[in-house]
Amino acid sequence: MNLGAFQWLMKKITKIFGRSTNALFYTLLYREILKEVNEITHNEEESLIILREIGKRAALESCERHSSIFKFMPGNPKKVLDYFEILWVVVFGTELDEYSYEEIAKEGSKYNDYILKITKCPICAGYGYDLEDSVKFDKIQNKDTEGLACGLCGMLETVANYILKIKRNDYRIQIVEQACITKGGDCLQFICKILDYKEWKELLESNTQQKKIINTYFKEIIDEEILQETKLDIIDKLQEVISIDKLEEYLDEPLESIKEKVSDIIKDKLNMESEHFFDYFRNYEDDMIRIIGYLGIHLLNEYGGLLEKFFKNKWLAKIFGYIFKQLKEMTLLFIPLDVIRDYNTLLVSFLEGLAPQEMVDNVKQFTGRDSITYVFEGAQMALQNLGIDFSELKENVWDELKAERENGLISSDTSPIEKTREKVPQIINIIQQFLMIINDILTLPIRVLISESHYGLKTAINSVVSEEEGLYGSIRERFDNIFDQIQEIRK
Amino acid sequence: MNFSRKELIQTEATMNQMRNAVFHLVRLMEKNGIENSKEKLRKMGQNIAKTYLKYWKPTDMITLVNLRDVITTVYQKVLNSTVSIDINEIEKIIEVRDYNCALCKYHYEDVEIAGCEILLGLVSEMITNISKESNGNTLLSLKPNEVSESRAYGNKVCTQKFIYKLGEGE
Repeated sequence: MNLGAFQWLMKKITKIFGRSTNALFYTLLYREILKEVNEITHNEEESLIILREIGKRAALESCERHSSIFKFMPGNPKKVLDYFEILWVVVFGTELDEYSYEEIAKEGSKYNDYILKITKCPICAGYGYDLEDSVKFDKIQNKDTEGLACGLCGMLETVANYILKIKRNDYRIQIVEQACITKGGDCLQFICKILDYKEWKELLESNTQQKKIINTYFKEIIDEEILQETKLDIIDKLQEVISIDKLEEYLDEPLESIKEKVSDIIKDKLNMESEHFFDYFRNYEDDMIRIIGYLGIHLLNEYGGLLEKFFKNKWLAKIFGYIFKQLKEMTLLFIPLDVIRDYNTLLVSFLEGLAPQEMVDNVKQFTGRDSITYVFEGAQMALQNLGIDFSELKENVWDELKAERENGLISSDTSPIEKTREKVPQIINIIQQFLMIINDILTLPIRVLISESHYGLKTAINSVVSEEEGLYGSIRERFDNIFDQIQEIRK
Repeated sequence: MNFSRKELIQTEATMNQMRNAVFHLVRLMEKNGIENSKEKLRKMGQNIAKTYLKYWKPTDMITLVNLRDVITTVYQKVLNSTVSIDINEIEKIIEVRDYNCALCKYHYEDVEIAGCEILLGLVSEMITNISKESNGNTLLSLKPNEVSESRAYGNKVCTQKFIYKLGEGE
């Protein structure tokens, strides 16, 4: 299945930051939780209701703990379901294997219902063949009872609704397990209904039997609708104007449209004409370019504070510092000046019509080398703010590794040193992949300019590397490799 | 054709929400008057081990010589954890220290049990069962001792202790 940039990125981020175990351990632990619940209720139907509730509570706890990550997600219920694969990865951490998606028309309603059929269910995998699979599903009489994956289903529903809540959307999604392989179904099947807030409340109120069972065993009902108020942060503000889930749409837009959008944003948010806005930077054009680098890094960090978190780790901060230093040198040493000049031309082209002519003329005076240097200077200031101490870095990464081994900072126990050495190939691979990505990107601007009025940015991207894969495919492949290496290191 | 349990061994799953689920189960047990929830968690681990061994085992033969490697392999392959292990041959205690426990991460004020009680049951059952199958009467058996430190108690590391016994069949 061809994944969009947003879906791919979210899946990778989610997997990287999750704590994973072997999937068989996960499945057997899930089974054991159901068994223990059943030893309390001695009633299979009630056990499944309680297991679903445990799933919901576990997911809510996780969502509240990592609410920033969900701000990336789309706030539209239809899109939340379109991105079901991401929900699955958030909850289960593994890829959704084969599934189909059916839309059921619902007259008089803004949104239709959806049926999801998942051919292979990791929760049901092999259930019933081992002696320890002791909860018997054939005892269940009520045909409306959910199946073994009800806990997972509760997690999915809670995550979906948490996203809608945090995005201040008034719709909610009900996800119910309709078919279960353990119960004799031929697949795992969910029905997803999008309900407005009133319908959702009515549904919750009407489930008196379920509420009674939950209250009997948990002695309390949790109201998921209570959302801890968080102050509007920069992510919220950014999402008003640019949403990461619209990556594909942005890639489709030609430069002129992007300029129009920037102009509109300046008008809407700052109540001034773009020319007036850029006039503030007249005669300080070099600082403006530094700000691009500075803000670029800080904006990256604002998405979940990931960079800052990374840099709290001394080693990761150093690795990023070395990568950055090498990029800075590589860019000026190995990238042809013509290519760098193209970037300058792209910047001039972007400013034309947006900024005063005098400013455009001043920027035209910069060489490509100047612009790149300013961007890197700005970026370095931001990285320094976020925790990379550039003054501590050695001339190159090899000196650093040598120093760490010789000065005894790492424990005298040989095993940590061995572990570090084991990770060196992955670290080098990551550095190489980042350098290749930069090389890929640096060939882009000339094509952007050529195709600006004809095909837009996406066409340009797709024309760079190969007709089949495109630049996007190439970069994605390299990032896949980087994410894999990071996962290896985390192990 | 659905997944088989053997196939699941080839993939990984994210524990974040299952880890929370374990603590919600403990709360449920306590609210319903179950007093031996620690033993219950260990029993869950033992049941997991019994099923797990039908699909994967770290080795066919366990002795005191390779015990450290076997335990390391179990933690690495099953739980994706890199652990340090101390074996005290005088007191017959094995101490496993895990800085990134799959089942404990946060300190809960209202729960006084560590999620990794499950691992005490899992590891001891796995080792004892493999030893039973391979060594006959020269049994190396492990029993859960205690979780002496846990991230669930607010410590920085989870320390799981086992008692081992050599040379006797059951």
